[in-house]
This record gives sequence, C-alpha cells and structure tokens, in this order.
Amino acid sequence: MARYVARRIAIALLLVVGVTLVTFVLTNLVPGDAATANLGEQAANDPAIVAAYKAHYGLDQPLPAQYVTYLGNLLTGDLGESQLTKRPVATDLAAAVPATMEIAIGAIVLSVLIGVGLGTLAAVRRGRVIDQLLRIVSLVGISLPTFWVALVAFYVFYYQLDIAPGSGRLSPTADAPPGITGLYTLDALLTGNWATWLDACAHLMLPTLVLTAYCVGLLTRFTRSAVLEVLDADHVRAARAKGLPERVVLTRYVLRAALVPILTVTGLAFGSLLSGTVLVESVFAWPGLGAYAYEAASHLDLPGVMGVGLVVGIVYLVVNLVVDLLYGVIDPRVRVS
Amino acid sequence: MRRTRWACLALVALAVSACSSGGAGGASGGGAAGDAIVIDTFFDLKTVDPGREYELTGNLLTKAMYETLLTFDGGDVTKPLPGLADFTLSPDATTLTLTLKPGRVFSDGSPVTADDVVFSLQRVQGIKGNPSFLLDGVTVAKTGDATVTLTSAKPSPALPYILPSPALSIVNSKVVKANGGTADANDGAEKFLNGASAGSGPYMLSSLDVSSQAKLVRNPAYNGPDKPAYGTAIVRNVAAPTQKLNVQRGDSQVALDLSSDQAKGLGGSLEVTSGASAYMIFLLLSQDPGISAVTSNPDFATAVKKAIDYKGLLEVAGTGAVQPPGMIPSLFAGALPAEKAMTFDLEGAKAALAKSGAAGQSVKLSYPSDVTLGGLSFQTLAERLQSQLTAAGITVTLAPAPVATELDAYRNGKEQMGLWYWGPDYPYAADYLAFAPDGLIGKRVRWTAAQSPAIADIAGKAAVASDEAARTQLYQQFQEQLNASGPFVPLVQPPTNIVSAKSVSGVAYNAVWGLDIAGLGVR
Repeated sequence: MARYVARRIAIALLLVVGVTLVTFVLTNLVPGDAATANLGEQAANDPAIVAAYKAHYGLDQPLPAQYVTYLGNLLTGDLGESQLTKRPVATDLAAAVPATMEIAIGAIVLSVLIGVGLGTLAAVRRGRVIDQLLRIVSLVGISLPTFWVALVAFYVFYYQLDIAPGSGRLSPTADAPPGITGLYTLDALLTGNWATWLDACAHLMLPTLVLTAYCVGLLTRFTRSAVLEVLDADHVRAARAKGLPERVVLTRYVLRAALVPILTVTGLAFGSLLSGTVLVESVFAWPGLGAYAYEAASHLDLPGVMGVGLVVGIVYLVVNLVVDLLYGVIDPRVRVS
Repeated sequence: MRRTRWACLALVALAVSACSSGGAGGASGGGAAGDAIVIDTFFDLKTVDPGREYELTGNLLTKAMYETLLTFDGGDVTKPLPGLADFTLSPDATTLTLTLKPGRVFSDGSPVTADDVVFSLQRVQGIKGNPSFLLDGVTVAKTGDATVTLTSAKPSPALPYILPSPALSIVNSKVVKANGGTADANDGAEKFLNGASAGSGPYMLSSLDVSSQAKLVRNPAYNGPDKPAYGTAIVRNVAAPTQKLNVQRGDSQVALDLSSDQAKGLGGSLEVTSGASAYMIFLLLSQDPGISAVTSNPDFATAVKKAIDYKGLLEVAGTGAVQPPGMIPSLFAGALPAEKAMTFDLEGAKAALAKSGAAGQSVKLSYPSDVTLGGLSFQTLAERLQSQLTAAGITVTLAPAPVATELDAYRNGKEQMGLWYWGPDYPYAADYLAFAPDGLIGKRVRWTAAQSPAIADIAGKAAVASDEAARTQLYQQFQEQLNASGPFVPLVQPPTNIVSAKSVSGVAYNAVWGLDIAGLGVR
C-alpha cells in the first residue's frame, strides 16, 4: 500500500509540472500583450514605462527562460507577483482559495448526503411516481444555469423574503476573523467569535445551497444508475435469500458496491466547484478562486492564471488520489488487484 | 441510527440559526446608515498608493483619504479651485506657483509642508507608474517654506486641471520614506500604502482587500473643509445586478454602476442621479491604405459619419446618455455647442459612398466585446452600428474580441475600423489633442500631420495658447475640422447612474473621481 501511495504521489508531482507547462504555453498562445493589457493609454505609450514594466515581471526574457525562472521560484514557494493585484500570487490565492473552499466543501457534503439518499430511493422505487419525480427534479437541477439559479435565489431569499443576508462573506460592517485558515466559519470558531461565526454561516448558506442544487442533481442521477446496476446482482440476491433485512441489504451490499462510480463523480464535481463557480461568486460578491481566475485571465495576468491552474490541478490530483485510495477501502477487489 | 438523527437535527439547527442571523445581518447593513455608509461598485482596483493608482476605484478611494493641491467643487470640473494650496498661473502658462494653506495636517497630526508636496509629485514622476505622464516635462521645486513652483519649458495651461487628479495627492513624506518610499523606480512604499494611508484627507484606510472591500474610517485629525458625515465608509466590489438588490434592500446606501435600464423605476426610498459620463465612445477609421484602402478614403469617412443615426444610438445607451458634439465631451470646458454635432443624413451617406467608389466592399469593425460602459455594451452598440451602416449600403463585418487581446491591435494601429472609448486623464481640452494628426490616437489610425497640415497646425497652436479665449476658439476649430474631415466619429457619452438612499445627501458625479465619499451627508 505504501509503495502504491508513493508511486501515486510521484506521478502527481510530475503531473503538477505538466499542468504548469500546459498553462504557461496556453496563456502565452493568447494573442495580446500583458503590458498593453495592464498599462493605461498614456503609460503604454511611454517606451521607458513599458520596458520597466516588462523587466519587473520578467516579460523581457525569452519564453523558455521565463518558464524555467517560474519553475525555479516555484520550488521556493514563490508563485510570482500578480500583474492584476500587484501582490504575491500566493497571498492572493491564500485569500481566494479558502473563500471558495468554504462554499465548495459545504456544497459537496450536502450534495453527497442528499444526492446519494435520493438516488438510492429512486433506484429502489424504480418506475414508480417517486422515481419519476426525482428523475425530473434532478434533470432540472442539472439543466438550469447555475448563475440564473443564484440570481433567483438571491432575489427570492434575500430581497423578497428577507431570510438570507446580502452579498459578501460577512455583513458590510463586520470585521473578518483573524486569518488562521482563511475559512471564516472555522476561524471565528477557533477564536470564539460567535457573532462573526453566525454571520459567516448565514452568508455561506445561499451560495452553498445554489451549488448544492446543481451537484445534487448530478449525484442523484449517478447514484440511481449505479444502484440499479447492483440491485439485481448475485450477491444482493444471496443476501436477500439469507433473510437479511432490506435496510442491511441496501447499505451493506448494494450501496457499498455502487459507491465506486459515485465516488468518482463526487471527486470530479468537487474539482469543478473550485474553478467553475465564477458566476455564482459574481452574484454573491464572493471573492473566491473563480472570480480571481476570471479577472486574471481577462487581464492576461500570467502569474495569476498560472497560480490558479496550479491550485486547481493540485486539488484535482489530491482528490483523485483520495478517491483512488478510497476505492481500495470500499472494494476489496481493488486492494487485491 | 440515533447518532445519525442527532447529526441531522444539528445540521437543521445550524441552518435555521444561520438563516435567522442572516436576516439580522442583512438588516444591520441597511440600519447602519448614519454612522456607516456602504457603497457598492464594480472594482477595477489595483492599488490605493496615490503615486501608482490610475483606476476609477483607486480614484474614488484615494480622493477620500488624501488631498490634492487643487480640486474641483462637486461635479463641476470646468473650474479648478484651491485645495491644499492657493495657486497662480503665470501669463505665459509656464509657471504655476502654489502656496500651501496654513495649518493643514496629516492624519498623524504633522503639518503638510512644501517638502511633502515636492516629494509627492517627484515620486509620481520618478516611479514610472501609470500616472507618471501627468507631470511629463514639469519641474517641481520648493521655492519657499510654504511655496512650491511647477515650471515647464512649454506653456502648460492644462496644469491646474491636472493637479486635482487623486494620483497627484500629497502624502506624508516622512511616513512614506520610513516605509520604503523614494522618488525613483526603487520606491517600495506601495505595500505599506495598501495597508495604511498617509494623507491629510477626511478618511483613513482601515482595511483593504483589492478584490472585495475597502473600509475607511474618519480621520480624527482632519481639519479641512470637507468634514465627513459618516464615521465609516465601506466600499464593496459587487456586480451591477447585485448592487441593485443590495441598495433596494438597504444593505448598501449607494450603488454606482447601474445601467439606465436597471435604474429605471427605482423610487420610494431611493434617488437616481443620472447624467452623461465623461467617457466618449468613438469610431475610428484607419488612414493607412495598407490597412484598408476603403477606410482611408475621405468620401467613405463622410459616408460613415452621415450614415449613423446618433439619436438611435442614444436610445440604445439609455437615459442620461448624450451625443458628444465633438471629440471633447460635453462636460468639459472647450466642448462644442450641441448644434455643431454630426447629424444623420441617409441620402447624403449614400451619395458619399457612391462618390467613394467603395460601395459593396466590406470593412472589418473591431471592438472589445466584453466592455460595458454605463450599462452600454460594446457588443450591442456594434450590432446597432452595423445595422445603421448597412441601411446606407456600407457593409461591415463585426470582429469582436476580449479587450485584453484587442487592445494590442488597437494600440498598434492594425484595425480597419474600430469602436473604442476614451476616458479623460484630466478634464481639459488638451487631453483630446490625442486625436490630432500624430497624436496618441491619431498615430493608431496612421494619421499624420503631412496628411492634414491644417488640423495639425490648429492643434499645435491650441496646445500652447496662453490666452484663454484664444485657446477655447482654437479647440473649437480643431473639433469642427475633426468633425468635417477627421478619421474619428464621436458617437455617444454613455450615462452614469448613481442610485442612493434618500437618507444620503450630496450625491454628485465627478468626471475625475466618480463620487466624493466625504461629500456625502445625512439627510
């Protein structure tokens, strides 16, 4: 097992280097000039200012040299300076990643709890009214554009019903808790700041539920089909023949066997939540990774784009690694093979 | 099973408690008016270091924390007024003498001195940032304990209009130097100035996250004329649709970026302050036959100018938008009277097109499709233009691209026909000499003084004319000539809509800093 994990980590490190190379090449393939995109009209017309700008960001070096410098700095934890915010990219990401993680973790946990439950119910009640209803609801959940759901949810629950707070991670006059993890709910808890904790939880609720609505639909459909494949399997029929209660058959024999594809989809959904929430973040004025990625890309901010690519790549790799390891825990056949 | 039930109950309890607190949280934002004011805007913020900032949000925040030598009153940018200093411009407009008002202090209580002024302005020049060009060719010197002189080799009548720019704010030189500030490219004070302010303005920086929020608190040492009514001012980065809901619900008191459609019908507890912005959206036609033999044809340019239904464009732009009579926006001194604006003449356009011999030839219209100004999308505007030009027989192919990539083609003069905008660097006619032959934008359409010597001559004289009446006349001639035979078509000044709670007074759009936060009051 240890050798397996070590091998996976080594492959993951190589993939991280691959991610940086692909991101670097793709970003530089975009027509346009970073100095032009980031300097004002008059400043961009001054060769001395343009030269100083390019020298500052190393843009006056050949592309291979820029990439080698980037990799060298990466080894020391230096992700470069953002051309957009003029701060270290690591500092920007340290603020943006926890903001997105906070809604993504909540959304994925709720989605798994609800989606697996509903998917199993739909499979068990196959063809009945509840199954038809859940299939329609899950299809609607997947089909509706997430940003539209976000706008409607904000309008209804904040503006009309007044049961959700306004935009942002905290109320405007509230101060952020001391930055321990960057997750406001956790930091507020760790520092015993209950008012901030409640405020952070309240602001977290709506964006989390909007993302949950999408993921639940996805997981419900996958769970349903995965469970259906197992329901008539020989080992399930044998369990029933032994006279085991249906609840035990479902949880120990059916769900366990169906968990492998569900786990795969969950991992992918979590990865996509990190980078694909830009429009939801825009509606809720949530300063997360998606918003940062969009701004960096639209300003040709190479260090920013590279940083986002790196983080998302690492998260995908870690999630995949965890999923692969869980396969072994769930399915003994994987361990044996 | 029991444990699972308890876990579910705990989850529900958390959700309920959080939601109920959410209502309270939302209400607290609106209820905070009187002591705190919340302003929603869409950030283009990079820094609040006055020597480096040159963005709209940067101007908005810097204006609140720092003071400039000269200033403007409310929304009137046609007359510079004394700020930290009284001023005298020499008759030949080469020397501006600034005398500091006595008794003014920075937020740490230390006095504002001539040394602070010299350091602040020389720092802007030396660090080679976005606003450095504002003082190109200007020598800054201390000429007395409270006197600073700005001199330039050529007459610079624009200088009194340039000095109110928040980028030329006066910083506490001792504090900035102690935190890495220098007046050259080695300056390292930006990080410090993004965490704390060092100015004499009505507010001080309490916290800043360039991607989400800036919090300003009242400067207790402030002894200027613009005493803030609100103890705390919070400026948040919020998209326009969310801005609307926030201000309607009272979570914020001011929203700066609503389009005319979004602002329409807002009433009750809200007020809408609408008007034309200082942005000028224009069409450019390359004068380089190598880029396009069609757009460089003078008769084709005439056909385009006559084919555009300018009133129709204003309908697209929404309430508050106006047609700029010339290249200088209507808000600024030197603008042409409205009756001199270009007019729609479909038959004239068809005749000019026939005369050009370019009928049936297609021209590529390039534009930044992701840019929206005052709620006016460039994509929508380009589509409307295409339809209007087609009606006159002019075939235009739309070539949209993201602004970050299209800027390169625009600035390198590669576009045949382009749809762009100009935001004022300072509210004075001289800024629009960029549209003269061999000017900044003139070069982008490959328009040289040799091609239009008469216009180039007028522009050159206007730039250095020291007599105000003569100068105004020259700028008007310059614009009339541009309208008649230049390669630019001024299309529309998009609207600006500031939506505010009725409890807030003093809301006025300013073309330089957008909104004076310290000028907001409680009704």
